[in-house]
Amino acid sequence: MSFETVNSKVVRAHVGPGTPVLARRGAMLGYSGQVTFRPVHGQGRGMGGMVGAAMSGESNPMMATEGTGQVLYGYKGLHVTVLELDGGAPLVCEADRLLAHDATLQTSVQFLGSGGLKSAISGAMTGQGLFTTNVHGRGAVALLSHGGAFPLQLAGQQVGVDPQAYVGHVGQLSVDLAAKVGFRDVVGRGSGEAFQLRISGSGTVYVQASERKF
Amino acid sequence: MTYPPGNPYGQPQGNPYGGQPQPYGQPQPYGQPQPYGQPQGNPYGGQPHGQPQPPYGGQPHGGPPQPPYGGQPPQPVPGGAPSGVPSTLDPHTLPDDDNVNPYVFCIALNGEWFMSKGAMLAYYGTIQFDAVTEYSSVQAWVASRFSSPVYIQDWVVAQGHGKLLIGDRGFDLNSYDLDDGNLTIKASNLCAFSRQLELKQSIVPGFVTLIGTGKFIASSNGPVIFVEPPFRADPDALLGWADCPAPSVHHDAQWMTQNVRGMISGALGRASGEERQYDFTGQGTILLQSSEVAREDPAVLRLVESQTQLLTNSQAGALGQRLIARAQQQ
Repeated sequence: MSFETVNSKVVRAHVGPGTPVLARRGAMLGYSGQVTFRPVHGQGRGMGGMVGAAMSGESNPMMATEGTGQVLYGYKGLHVTVLELDGGAPLVCEADRLLAHDATLQTSVQFLGSGGLKSAISGAMTGQGLFTTNVHGRGAVALLSHGGAFPLQLAGQQVGVDPQAYVGHVGQLSVDLAAKVGFRDVVGRGSGEAFQLRISGSGTVYVQASERKF
Repeated sequence: MTYPPGNPYGQPQGNPYGGQPQPYGQPQPYGQPQPYGQPQGNPYGGQPHGQPQPPYGGQPHGGPPQPPYGGQPPQPVPGGAPSGVPSTLDPHTLPDDDNVNPYVFCIALNGEWFMSKGAMLAYYGTIQFDAVTEYSSVQAWVASRFSSPVYIQDWVVAQGHGKLLIGDRGFDLNSYDLDDGNLTIKASNLCAFSRQLELKQSIVPGFVTLIGTGKFIASSNGPVIFVEPPFRADPDALLGWADCPAPSVHHDAQWMTQNVRGMISGALGRASGEERQYDFTGQGTILLQSSEVAREDPAVLRLVESQTQLLTNSQAGALGQRLIARAQQQ
């Protein structure tokens, strides 16, 4: 099952028996057919996922869409990007960027602090938080972005991304925060680009065309 | 009505913006590597984004498919230079009653048009803008055309000759031609309408109905999606409807019983929003947009206030206390 893009801001999901869809609450624009919506609590599998979601604020109220019919999803006029995950590598993004995904996909919360103090600091400094969400499995994901997300392909090179413009990534990538804070930044005369995410490895990075979140 | 009636999900068959060289509504707008479902065929030939495209995507001129809005054949619009370099426009090169780009519409004004306050971006020529309240005392026909006291303060009459450019919050603008028809649209998304049309308040709060023969311009967050009933729409995403019977409100019972918060608020007679949908049946067309960030609409206050006369004095007092409590919470 995949999402069908109706336009740059709306996707349509064909929901059938055995292919339910999880979507952000409030993202349903309209539907036809016999479709029911059920609120889903918690995120991720097991107790850790539940606690993690509650602790981290990295949880989004989601709802399950079941039945048979066609459902349109969109959220606050934000752009929607549909990704197909092949199960090889998880998608890493923030939970509130998830508009909808196949219910067969699993989400889990990842604590950036487990990657050492450095990554914890990077999360805190960039406004990304100390937690991110991993989406595992095979299936389709609809991601939200402000201004539309575009993919940057990496094969061993390194790319620098503005933390506010970073949407998510798929593949074997390592994300590092590079801070270059000098005297000018302290007095408010910096270039405004003191913090950058240095992403290297092989995979795809999704970057949005805006530095505004939502 | 000349919007595409046989095309339910809003991939316009023709080019709605009369020569927009970069169709922003195409199915693969960001050059994603993975192909995904696409039912209606790519009207623009499946070219990747960013590659120079021939204007009109190679579609035939004149014959069907007809351009969905305005009925005019696509004409080269100087505002949409393919390279992305804006070309300079003057009164002669500005289009007549057509989009300059997806977000700006140019009205060739010759007489009067009704306009939403703040929709004007620029104009050439001699054009006067008068409040509808003022203008209706001079011209009697205005009052009979604009029969909506709730919205009258938010509208002006543009009168004169020239080219008038309008826009709304950077939203997509579409023009609609009504031919002895009716279309109901969200009041905050209606930008302008010609004087031949009659504006009436819809029974559904926050919506207005346009009746008659003429042109109007409305904004939408993202391209408009057209669907046919039976359909249920989220109130935030509903842009309007044509020829349909008025919608009824559908409450998702399952949602309310399964969600504890929904149950509590349901028992208190309040709604959290998600379980409430507008239900459309019968013949017609429904217009949808991606749900927008709600804008403070001054007309809503007047609308609610006008309804409070249904309350008895003791009920009005109780409502007042609840509203005070709510205002103090925030």
